[in-house]
Amino acid sequence: MHGIVPMSAATVTSPAEKTPTLSVRGLRVEFPAFAGPPLAAIPDLDLDIAPGEIVGLAGEAGAGKTVLARSLFRLVPEPGRIAGGAIRFDGEDLIGFDERSLQKLRGRSMTLIAANPRGELNPLRTVGDQISTMARVHLGVDRRVARQMTLDMLRAVQIPDPERRYDAYPHELSGGMAQRIVIAVALICSPRFVVADDATSGLDVTVQAQVLDLLRKLTLERGSSLLFITRDVGIAAHFCDRVAVMYRGEIMEVAPRETFFFQPRHPYTVMLLAAFSHNQRLRAGWSRPSKAAAEAVPGVGCSYASRCPKAAARCLVERPAATNLGGGQVIRCHYPVER
Amino acid sequence: MSALLEVNQLVKHFPIAGSRQVVQAVNGISFEIKAGETLGLVGESGSGKTTVGRSILGLNDITEGSIRLEGRHLTDPAERRRSLGQIQIVFQESAEALDPRMKIGASIEEPLTALGVAVAERRDRVREVLDRVGLSERVLGQLPSELSGGQLQRIGIARAIVTRPKLLVLDEPTSALDPTARAEIIELLMRLQEELQTACLFISHDLSTVRHVSHRVAVMYLGMIVEQGKASEVFARPRHPYSVGLLSSVLLPNPHIRRASSLSLAGEIPSPINLPKGCFLASRCPFVEEACRHGIPEGQSLGDGHVVHCRRHEYVAETERISDAFDAFERESERILSVGMPEAA
Repeated sequence: MHGIVPMSAATVTSPAEKTPTLSVRGLRVEFPAFAGPPLAAIPDLDLDIAPGEIVGLAGEAGAGKTVLARSLFRLVPEPGRIAGGAIRFDGEDLIGFDERSLQKLRGRSMTLIAANPRGELNPLRTVGDQISTMARVHLGVDRRVARQMTLDMLRAVQIPDPERRYDAYPHELSGGMAQRIVIAVALICSPRFVVADDATSGLDVTVQAQVLDLLRKLTLERGSSLLFITRDVGIAAHFCDRVAVMYRGEIMEVAPRETFFFQPRHPYTVMLLAAFSHNQRLRAGWSRPSKAAAEAVPGVGCSYASRCPKAAARCLVERPAATNLGGGQVIRCHYPVER
Repeated sequence: MSALLEVNQLVKHFPIAGSRQVVQAVNGISFEIKAGETLGLVGESGSGKTTVGRSILGLNDITEGSIRLEGRHLTDPAERRRSLGQIQIVFQESAEALDPRMKIGASIEEPLTALGVAVAERRDRVREVLDRVGLSERVLGQLPSELSGGQLQRIGIARAIVTRPKLLVLDEPTSALDPTARAEIIELLMRLQEELQTACLFISHDLSTVRHVSHRVAVMYLGMIVEQGKASEVFARPRHPYSVGLLSSVLLPNPHIRRASSLSLAGEIPSPINLPKGCFLASRCPFVEEACRHGIPEGQSLGDGHVVHCRRHEYVAETERISDAFDAFERESERILSVGMPEAA
């Protein structure tokens, strides 16, 4: 279990035998720089998500989580662009799609739940109108059917008194309620793949628990796959099947939930987990860069080298490849934590 | 020892323009903070935590009640002026609290100028607090936009302690920060508290942090303190259904640790404009009985300063299995994360 096995494409991420719903290979996203070569927000990223699977993606601000989320929809914020790689959704590479084909997919087969529900909803249209439009445009149903589907959806996301709420405007709803509406918009067409980008961060803890339960139930019932992006590792521990941690555009470690939390192998993962405990000794030990780390040059070698307590000469010059440690645990590190 | 800060039956209602209704943000709360003590004030957004903090600072007037610092009534403008600089606040977003065009050095110095401290002493004090918060003097000439979120929060803290306050109000000081920066700021605050013996009101919805930094804790819901007591006691044996619900909603980063509880709070917080007549939690509480809907429950003392506002607290104590998930989490973290830790060079 503890030996390092060379990675083969078939064993990269998902332990499941099923064909992944989404399969990302060698994704590279670049932003132009004022002088010099473009900066790679995501240099080279692989990720698989199986049908019915919930994958958590954790990382600090600026790690590239949102850029990744938007790239999966081919919606990289301007002036960024996808410079390489493949995004296979149900076996087809989205990179080759034209805008028309993409629009058919977005909102129908793959949807995004964003962090700020009020920013996502149109303030001038009723919530019922906004949800039913999705069904009418993407599923081609008539108004009457769309209305019925919307009411069912409002009930599914546990909006009390759906008949009355159908005609409510976003400003009439609380934050928790508005977030449920955004979830309803995202799920009305029973998409195969959903990305939730910090979708519960604005909610209070008691409401957050309700929304998470709901999201889990609805995705499982519909056999959808979910990529759940969060800054709160605590949510990932209780809600996701697999967890990935991102640092400077790279997935440093991905593993099944229990392995991730009980046997973390990447020094960055351990440091991040230690930050959530209030144990000063652990935190100091894992956030004290090694002697070699001081020599690290940005853009060369491992991206975590300058902060890493285990960084050695090799880390400064050679970017670690993704390595499969067995049991679905894949990390980018020359010197994994020995357990 | 008498209390440093005494808040008695504090009420704050905000008028709604064009209406006779009011937002009942704070509805008669009482608590004390002793010198050198940290009181954690927890609750969800809209529960009135920030209004309590701002009322103590005098940033808004109050509708009823009294606030006393060392016996002086802060509602009296003359007394308030005499206590300038003795109560300071650290905001959630220091990036927004600092003037973007003012150099860091000038920002830290500003409160002292307002207090009329002499120039030479001002400079010394700025250097002293900068050292205390662990920043180099290089930042003095920089602008807020040149610093990271964690550094800005250190500046916010430096700016607050430069007047040598007796009480520090910390309003969600770590919520906007990344996990690593948050851990650093918490360590800094605890060290400062030990060195300076400043009393703190720590306002936060992050229960894990509140438990770690506070001596005592008060749980707020819709402008009322529903339960208060020693932090170790309230977190290990919560007696109010809302405290139980809040604690069992906490998701700690360990898949096996979750507070065992049969209780879940349904629905959402009622509007603070039309508050129910009885207990504010009645519409969401699984233990509700008819009497709860008719009057706000009186505070019941359980000894050692533990006070709970619930008619059914004895039943809650019986039903809810006792388990301090936070302790278990710390123990497990120690076990899992100390494996392979590099030794200090």
